[in-house]
Amino acid sequence: MLRTEKVLQLRSQQGRSVRVVREHYLRLDVPCRSALCRAGCPGDGKLLSDDVTHYVVPDWKVVQDYLEILEFPELKGIIFMQTACQAVQHQKGRRQYNKLRNLVKDARHDCIVFANEFHQHSYRPREKGESMEKWQTRSIYNAAVWYYNHCLGQMPVVMVTEDEDAIRQYGNETEGVFVISFKNYLDNFWPDLEAAHELFDSIVQARHERETESQENNGKEYPEHLPMEILEAGIKSGRYIQGTLNVNKHRAQLEAFVRLQGFGSKETDLQSDILIYGARARNRAIHGDVVAVELLPSQEWRGRIVALCENETEDKAPADTTGDPMPTGKVVGIIQKNWRDYVVTFPSKEESQSQGRNAQKILVTPWDYRIPKIRISTQQAEALQEYRVVVRIDSWESNSVYPNGHFVRVLGRIGDLEGEIAAILVENSISVAPFSEIQMSEMPTSSSKNPWKVNPEEEKKRLDLRDTHLIFSIDPKGCEDVDDALSVRTLPNGNLELGVHIADVTYFVAANSYTDVEARARATTYYLADRRYDMLPAVLSADVCSLLSGVDRYAVSVLWELERESYEILRVCYNKTIIRSAYKLVYEVAQGLLDGDTSVVDDIPELKDLDERTRKKKLDELVWAISKLTDIARRVRAKRDSCGALELEGVEIRVQLDDKKNIHDLIPKQPLEVHETVAECMILANHWVAKKISENFPHQALLRQHPPPRQEFFTELRECASAKGFPIDTRSNKTLSESLDKADDPLDPLVNKLLRCMATHAMSNALYFSTGSCSEEEFHHYGLALDKYTHFTSPIRRYADIVVHRLLMAATLKETKDVKDKVLSNKDLEELCRHINNRNRAAQHAQKQSTELFQCMYFKDKTPETDERCIADGVIYSIRTNGVLVFVPRYGIKGAAYMKNKEGLVISCQGDRSCEWKPGSLQRFQNKITSTTTTGDSVTLSLFDHITVKILVQTSRCHADTVKLEIIRNAPYQTSVTEVSQKNFNVVKSDLVKEVSQSAETAQHTQEKARVEVIEEEYRQYCQTKGPSLYQLLEEIRDLALLDVSADIRT
Amino acid sequence: MAALELLSAEGFRPDGRRPAELRKLRARMGVFAQPDGSAYIEQGNTKALAVVYGPHEMRGPRSKALPDRALVNCQYSMATFSTGERKRRPHGDRKSSEMSLHLKQTFEAAILTELFPRSQIDIYVQILQADGGNYCACVNAATLAVIDAGIPLRDYVCASSAGLVEDAALADLSYLEEAAGGPQAALALLPTSGQMALLQLDSRLHEDRLGAVLEAAGGACRAVHAVLDRVVREHVRELTALLGD
Repeated sequence: MLRTEKVLQLRSQQGRSVRVVREHYLRLDVPCRSALCRAGCPGDGKLLSDDVTHYVVPDWKVVQDYLEILEFPELKGIIFMQTACQAVQHQKGRRQYNKLRNLVKDARHDCIVFANEFHQHSYRPREKGESMEKWQTRSIYNAAVWYYNHCLGQMPVVMVTEDEDAIRQYGNETEGVFVISFKNYLDNFWPDLEAAHELFDSIVQARHERETESQENNGKEYPEHLPMEILEAGIKSGRYIQGTLNVNKHRAQLEAFVRLQGFGSKETDLQSDILIYGARARNRAIHGDVVAVELLPSQEWRGRIVALCENETEDKAPADTTGDPMPTGKVVGIIQKNWRDYVVTFPSKEESQSQGRNAQKILVTPWDYRIPKIRISTQQAEALQEYRVVVRIDSWESNSVYPNGHFVRVLGRIGDLEGEIAAILVENSISVAPFSEIQMSEMPTSSSKNPWKVNPEEEKKRLDLRDTHLIFSIDPKGCEDVDDALSVRTLPNGNLELGVHIADVTYFVAANSYTDVEARARATTYYLADRRYDMLPAVLSADVCSLLSGVDRYAVSVLWELERESYEILRVCYNKTIIRSAYKLVYEVAQGLLDGDTSVVDDIPELKDLDERTRKKKLDELVWAISKLTDIARRVRAKRDSCGALELEGVEIRVQLDDKKNIHDLIPKQPLEVHETVAECMILANHWVAKKISENFPHQALLRQHPPPRQEFFTELRECASAKGFPIDTRSNKTLSESLDKADDPLDPLVNKLLRCMATHAMSNALYFSTGSCSEEEFHHYGLALDKYTHFTSPIRRYADIVVHRLLMAATLKETKDVKDKVLSNKDLEELCRHINNRNRAAQHAQKQSTELFQCMYFKDKTPETDERCIADGVIYSIRTNGVLVFVPRYGIKGAAYMKNKEGLVISCQGDRSCEWKPGSLQRFQNKITSTTTTGDSVTLSLFDHITVKILVQTSRCHADTVKLEIIRNAPYQTSVTEVSQKNFNVVKSDLVKEVSQSAETAQHTQEKARVEVIEEEYRQYCQTKGPSLYQLLEEIRDLALLDVSADIRT
Repeated sequence: MAALELLSAEGFRPDGRRPAELRKLRARMGVFAQPDGSAYIEQGNTKALAVVYGPHEMRGPRSKALPDRALVNCQYSMATFSTGERKRRPHGDRKSSEMSLHLKQTFEAAILTELFPRSQIDIYVQILQADGGNYCACVNAATLAVIDAGIPLRDYVCASSAGLVEDAALADLSYLEEAAGGPQAALALLPTSGQMALLQLDSRLHEDRLGAVLEAAGGACRAVHAVLDRVVREHVRELTALLGD
């Protein structure tokens, strides 16, 4: 029936090499499809014509590369060998293969496919050690020879190949079968076919370019990473350095720095970060990755770029603006990838068209400047153009310029408030889904009609302070989550007893319960400019755990016995207690009481309904307590100051923000002494709790450290201060704090503020850590000047405090129960600390970014030319080579102002001191910068100069909008503006947030909002009127149903 | 790499066969002396060995014996080395139990079991090398072994598979073609009467196409029958030649 033969083929599948045996049947009845055939081949279908001068057999390589030329209708008598077709199919993919197939199918084209591999005589098995390419060429040549003989030599056959060896080897082997190169073929046979020649040249050129390019890079865009073992060994031996990659936000494509892990390595005496310059040296590492770095030889070191620049203008020659050379290195491997979800924007319509319409792969631009563009393949690019989208990076091969990723989900429209907020949350990896059913089911029930009550059993276990102590809380206005309360009283022996009472959250949040797991994941309450995301469900944070006045609450109390005169601490005890806060005071009221201002008394709701006598008595008690507290706090503070506690601008602002529920009505107009009193009591409690837990759990207590800053970070501060003539001594926290106190310009209070701000910047952040992970000297808190410190006083909004509460409980119960297993091990705790630190940082970033978002939205609708509000006074706080950094106190904005614009023009001053752009040059000195125009005018700006700036918003499609400053006048905006602005500062900022959120709301959600509000209102009504009788309840449900229907009709 | 073309425009399958062509079929009977009947078959690269014991008395529980006919007991197995990668195949996995059951149904239909009441016939088949059409190779091998054992059959049982690729029916699928995932039918046929002993269809197939697939499979079965018949005659000729000496 048929003659058969078998071949073995080796092939690998999915990386593994699998030996597959395939049959291969050879036969004689393969049709040649030529009109010249005299052998009686079955000749149905398309036939190769016999009126051509020759038949041409293209080699596989020619078919792959020059198919477009073979498509010319002028070329006739083409025989595609099956071998060549399969090579195209396997190596060039379906599209190219389909083109070939259509070509063969097209009846107008004089070409056929000959199945040479199935013909008994034309088939040549692949020999051992023969390369695929060689075998394919040989097969095709043999088929051509067979074909020539099959047609009995009536038609010469030309085989065109790009393989020089084949031309040499087969060129003269068979008479009638010519083997020549494709170029040769075109020149000799088709000299008049201009179009084919042109096409040939362009294809060759394109291929040549590709090849040289890939040769340069060895076919790769980046060097390969070293394997893990080599990296580990290299890091141990000091050859490589391990650190975290930080990309410079302003020069994301060029500059990145590697911050060393641990505080300064001992072997290498590197003090600074390592510069990674350029994308190749960065070698596919992405911001946040832990990388291994090899240092370059010191002659290749270079400096960081100090000029101001925007990301858009990358073409600047950086050579002339670099600073001093610093250690420079290149990434040799990534130890840990910290890829997360990224917010990206698709290219707009105009951009995408230039990328090619049918391109399935699309480069998207991440929101974060520090992340490289990501290549994703999607069909929905056009639909997603207007949206912020989340993508994930999948891989980054060494032969790819950009990483590959995939689309995950849509966040919202570009420029939409909700969308932008969602983008900020995703960028900081903050996930704030509403609390789930199962978490809520763990919560105690409490409502206004049916409040939560103390459990009698629990009552017996706790120390009852309800009747013995006068306890009160001092908080900002409108605060719901009161987690701390204070008390002070005179003991029978005449000594004083100071008490700090913190809500006992751990009683409600059992370790490893669902709520606990969720709280741990969130780690902190997130405060954005206009909203907040709670760490614990509202029933805890605003009700059951909130130490409201007049209700019984569980608490953890720290009670100190103080010596009556010197306030020396004699004794301290930590207790689980039940308290009933007597007053929920507001800072302003407390300050009023302290100052003897009786007008504030009316603001105390707890005193309203009392008769005059009791009221007077109670008020006296309260005033005594507050003043005593203040007295104690002053004494404690003085003691801490003598050790060198710092008062830092940035820190102070931040802590205050943390206390708030909503920024706007909560920023105090100016710091009151009561603030300090409360803060001092909290610090004292934190300090003593830190002492207790670190004593009891020397290896597994959670403390907070603030490492001393590196001296070189203070250079900028010292230089700035010396410009104003203030010496700053940064040797220790004590000298720093003293010299900062002295550096006060009576004419300009902003100077001191800015200096403190810079000092804060120079310092590293305070961090949580486990006592087992570092030596006791490192426990120190630099900023507060305490040897041990922790966070204990805000368990409602910080997870660290919950952990500390558990530790403290374990420590106080240590004698009675075995608590070892309740406490986290050092390793777990270390892990947890890292997580909490991380989340805290994310919370800060999110807060900052959301504030910036609001700033931008505020200025966006204003026309800077006409609107008064866009012009403000600014203070120069840093000098760069092509501009200055300016702080605008009125809006709390910091930004860059250029003195040289993109056209190379510099700023110059008119007679009325307003500024204009003119050609000229800039010269930078240490504390000032001078711009000289070609006409000889010059302007000099020095540090702490007041100038008038115009605030513009630089919109950006892919990234967050930024505020841009433009110098419009080299003089203060208003003469007395500093005084006024400082007072207005907070107010204005709060107005800003309010205004923006209001307009956004009205614009977007008017309808939905209205609906939601109606329903909420009714719900509330329902809750409030929920009576004890079933009848009433049912009635109300009926009412509710009716109302709901009417609400539907209304909307 | 683009997906493999199962049927090229020129009308060739990946291994060079045309749609209706079978793989090379070679068979031998009486390969072992111990059992009552045995046979070895090669269908391309699929190789199978079949051994038959019986009819003999019931082994094991007598209660299983059937009063009016013989019990056909089949066991199918695959050698660990039968596939590209070595894989342990414990007896009684679902695939081979199913295959055993199919074999049993096929041969209960073909063997004249009513001639041997209360007795038992054991058929053991093993795949030595698997390259598609395992069931068919087993049926064909077992037929030869049963004939070798001298057990009366209604007719040869010939089996072949057929599949459908782009409206063209392919006969006798190889592993490569099976793995492509198209519809596929296995047919065991009694060629003289044209009766079907077993027809198994994997995956959905439109009614209109069933005819084409069955025709291809039927044609292949008849072709198999021709080869098997030749093998049997050859074997008998050899035997008689030996007896003649």
